[in-house]
Amino acid sequence: MSVKKEFFKGLVDKNPVMVLGIGLCPALAVTTSVSNALWMMLATTFVLTCSNILVSLVKNIIPAHVRIPVFITIIATFVTVVEIVLKAYQPEVYTSLGIFIPLIVVNCMILGRAEEFASRNGVFMSIVDALGMGIGFGLTLTVLAFFRETLGANKLFGYTLIPGFEPAGIMTVAPGAFITLGLMLWAMNSIMTSRKKH
Amino acid sequence: MKEIGKSTTILAVVTLIASLLLASIYALTKDRIAFLESEKEKNALAVVLPGFTIVETRTKDDSSQYWVAEKKSKNGETIKGYAFISEASGYSGTIRCMIGVDHSLTILGISILQQTETPGLGARSVEIASKYTFWDVITGSAKDEGEQLPWFQKQFQQLSGSDPISIVKKGDWNQNMADELRETNSVSAITGATITTKAIVTCIEKGLNEYSAIINE
Amino acid sequence: MEIKIFLTILFSTIFINNYVLSQTLGICPFLGVSKKTDSAAGMGFAVIFVMTIASIITYFIYKYILLRYDIVYLRTIAFILVIASIVQLVEMAINKLSPVLYRALGIFLPLITTNCAVLGVAVLNVESGFITSEYGLLMTMVQGFGAGVGFLLALMLMSGIRERLETADIPFNLKGMPITFIIAGLLSLAFMGFAGMSF
Repeated sequence: MSVKKEFFKGLVDKNPVMVLGIGLCPALAVTTSVSNALWMMLATTFVLTCSNILVSLVKNIIPAHVRIPVFITIIATFVTVVEIVLKAYQPEVYTSLGIFIPLIVVNCMILGRAEEFASRNGVFMSIVDALGMGIGFGLTLTVLAFFRETLGANKLFGYTLIPGFEPAGIMTVAPGAFITLGLMLWAMNSIMTSRKKH
Repeated sequence: MKEIGKSTTILAVVTLIASLLLASIYALTKDRIAFLESEKEKNALAVVLPGFTIVETRTKDDSSQYWVAEKKSKNGETIKGYAFISEASGYSGTIRCMIGVDHSLTILGISILQQTETPGLGARSVEIASKYTFWDVITGSAKDEGEQLPWFQKQFQQLSGSDPISIVKKGDWNQNMADELRETNSVSAITGATITTKAIVTCIEKGLNEYSAIINE
Repeated sequence: MEIKIFLTILFSTIFINNYVLSQTLGICPFLGVSKKTDSAAGMGFAVIFVMTIASIITYFIYKYILLRYDIVYLRTIAFILVIASIVQLVEMAINKLSPVLYRALGIFLPLITTNCAVLGVAVLNVESGFITSEYGLLMTMVQGFGAGVGFLLALMLMSGIRERLETADIPFNLKGMPITFIIAGLLSLAFMGFAGMSF
């Protein structure tokens, strides 16, 4: 098991959003702007890394049948840490991510990694896995947010791109999110199939 | 039975540690959060009652807070101003705004304290339109923004609170349409977010209804 | 009258602010179990059930424990543990009381813990200020129930379309997830039409 392989699997082969199809709620909901997507990536990666570290440390002490409740408690604790810290030091981010901060708890990706990876591997590998998965998740969100923000609001990081250009507002609301992600998946499938042919 | 005891103990210990950790983090950040809240209130009061000094904080019906402020006018008279908070449901969730009026119920300013409207549409009610484009920012030609207040909130200034406020669809507000809107006691809706606009107007009218009796005293 | 408030909440959680199609909550089960109409209905009813109960219980927890002792910051951790336990209890209770119902809903129940719409409705009950208002308990119940019905509706619509898609001629690369997302987008576009309605 190489570090490089474990890190890059989260970015490409096992990308949580594009390949495994998990963590979709935040992916669709907070991608109205690139800065929201980046903050979501930071928050999720932080929670994922901390929970992976802790889970891999306590994996031998916790009896099998209380495993899931303990994991959920660990994850919820770190999510609350993120919640409190954002509220105190980044109130604007806190309001713009809104209920999707507490909802990081139910991002299946985090519980999934705790169960599938961290409870079976050492601390170091768990960190590598968490970073790869978190960044893979975040990059997908950023790409999605890039399309939605530029096309839907004619903006990037809150600044207008082309003055006087009327953007397609539909991209900033839910339908735009679904359709953009659908098209991204289509593009990815097409690339995959054409690669296989060669 | 022994298994259950062991599992319960482990769960209890884990949750106890978790709550202790969170309690300490909360204790560390509590003051800062409270400070941010009071700062936010202070800023909002400065926006809705420009130039006024707060002389009294009162409560109506033992629950909702409102502020009484005073200002010296040019000819030496003391003008009274009032600020209060009102709520209404918007497109997605509650909108809370603070409204400042004088004794004749002329709106001096409004400030939206809380909203969860759609980014790019309803949320534009709290956005200050930047004069600069993204390219200006990366090339470094962008300077400080002159504007401090979102245009949507600015257009409520000097409207009459005792008459109904109507909504017109004229696109983004600018200085040229200001006089015309003021004459007809109307505001320009945010493009694509009529519901948000209506909700904010409802919020203001609701607040005015509630407090007009107190202000007229 | 008060009844109007409840009807407004019910209508807006089902149609205007549909949890799946306009707030993008609960997408994983929405895509996961919408292949067949039967399982979609099973999942939908299980969600209605859990959401209503979770709304009621989190109401009491929030109002009488978290608010009273000023430990609101423990909200997330308390809610998720409560929801996880409710799901477990409901599963056990159904198993004992009605084996028929258990066979229909049983396999969906464990999936509900990580359905973010359930935690979402609990958190939104708090955020929309229902808990501190006069008819708080009824309002949270109606919102929980409405959110569940909205979820069921979205799931049924989607599964109906997906069953027909099986026989449709779709480009190879668009099959599966991509076309499902695009259809969800179109459905969500249709639901935006409800937004103009007001009371």
